[in-house]
Amino acid sequence: MAMSAHATAHTSQAKAAELPRVPTPAIGPRANPYLDADSFEGEGDLMVLNMGPQHPSTHGVLRLKLWLDGEVVIKAVPYLGYLHRGVEKLLEKLSYVQSTPIVDKNDYVASMTNELALVMAFEKLEGCEVPRRARYLRTICAEMQRVASHLLWLGTFALDMGGALGGGTTAFMYCLRERERILDLFEELTGARFHYHMMQIGGVRHDLPVGWDVHMKQVAADIRARIPEYESMLSANPIFRSRTKGIGRIDARLAMELGLSGPNLRACGVDFDLRRSQPYAAYDEIEVHSALAYEGDVYARYQVRVAEMYESLRIATALVDGVPAGPIMGRKPIETVNAVKPPAGEAYVAIDSPRGELGCWVVSDGSPRPYRCKLRPPSYHALAALPYLLPGTTIPDVVVILGSLDPIMGEADR
Amino acid sequence: MIGQDVAQIAHERFGLESGELGPSVPRERLLEFASALCEAGYLYLVYISAMHHPATKNGEAEVPARYTVVYRVRDLARGLEFPFRCEVPLGTGVPSVASVWAGADWQEREAYDLVGPVFEGHPDLRRIMLPEDWEGHPLHRDYAINTPHHPWR
Repeated sequence: MAMSAHATAHTSQAKAAELPRVPTPAIGPRANPYLDADSFEGEGDLMVLNMGPQHPSTHGVLRLKLWLDGEVVIKAVPYLGYLHRGVEKLLEKLSYVQSTPIVDKNDYVASMTNELALVMAFEKLEGCEVPRRARYLRTICAEMQRVASHLLWLGTFALDMGGALGGGTTAFMYCLRERERILDLFEELTGARFHYHMMQIGGVRHDLPVGWDVHMKQVAADIRARIPEYESMLSANPIFRSRTKGIGRIDARLAMELGLSGPNLRACGVDFDLRRSQPYAAYDEIEVHSALAYEGDVYARYQVRVAEMYESLRIATALVDGVPAGPIMGRKPIETVNAVKPPAGEAYVAIDSPRGELGCWVVSDGSPRPYRCKLRPPSYHALAALPYLLPGTTIPDVVVILGSLDPIMGEADR
Repeated sequence: MIGQDVAQIAHERFGLESGELGPSVPRERLLEFASALCEAGYLYLVYISAMHHPATKNGEAEVPARYTVVYRVRDLARGLEFPFRCEVPLGTGVPSVASVWAGADWQEREAYDLVGPVFEGHPDLRRIMLPEDWEGHPLHRDYAINTPHHPWR
């Protein structure tokens, strides 16, 4: 399975940040999320249905309060906070060095990117340089993590469709089988399967074990060969297409105002990718072709995520061949808890996590603990779209729309 | 990259100087400023957050406790960002910008819930992370991490 795109990697100079192609959208018709359900005039009464928090299709513990006219949703109010762990308060009480393992648990299916955003914000605050080898390792990990995260999403999304696909479980099992191999790779690299603690301020914690690149390329080639199988299970299925096309459509303007990001935003025809507009880690040394779709519906989000898997595998494979020699840490080893003391100031750093723009806004007062550390989770912004997306749809579509946004409640609730 | 076009608007129309952290907009003109940003093409709301500063003694002068509400918006077409902020003393409301960016709704609810500033004119200002009957705002600097709560918490 030769990767045809090897040639595009390792351009000698860092390319300039490029500008995205973005439409200038007008305000379209939107549902009113503040509708007074009592004033609804129709035949009969509205039924209030509580969906969740313990519901298999809410991808965690999300509660949706739905006002139904027959089977049609009139109003939807999401209730969050069932997984609120006070992470931002905790980050204020812990030192910079102690923070990384805490944010691992936020987005528990993409821990690498969580650490990366936090660590990059601290590095910006401190003015710390990261060696080139560490930046390569970070990028490879982030891209393989994206594939693992999208595989889990694809599997659970197929499961959301359930029996309609003639056994959504098949795709679920296949996707988890491939994801398992990526977890094995990370285990070989870091010793952990979920909460890696790979990134640290100034670089990465673990260097590549001998033979890891060979394993990684083999895994990438295998997964790349199998994604078309999953596509043939899903997008070649007329039931899947009719349940996803034209459902949960969101226009570009609303997506921007709500702060939707990543695949959810790119499915609305907005070509904005932080990997290209503000290149971080090693993305300035490799061409990134972000997937784009224009319809803004569930099917478009599915298309974007599947296309992103191919692209991430290509990027990771291309980078792993050219990992430069050198140190993996840009500062002297961190030996004490209070070793990192950035000067007073503020920094905001955002990266493109599998779910979208994962940002970290951190304020320092010169002490070894952050004065304020806010995480900007993409899932929280995606869930904010639900009151706009759900009215007018039916209960089976609610499940599909919610799944298509790919929310992770651990990250949304923090 | 910081949007210099808005920095100029802030300077000429509002008389505000934007440093690296963006201008500090007085609360009376916040909504007007937000609308001007939206018209200038900054349609993407990155985040709204807030922090609490307890009262401090600066020599003789006593600085009262205050909230800083921070905003960051982005023009995706040009790849420009613009941060700005609004400082209010405790007990004073901040105008809500939910009428300008729809996404401000949940952002302001989160800032209100965890940090505490009240957003005036918000369509639906309720707690979002914590239970409705929670007392206090945990991200206050003086909120102890082991604050006791009723048996089930």
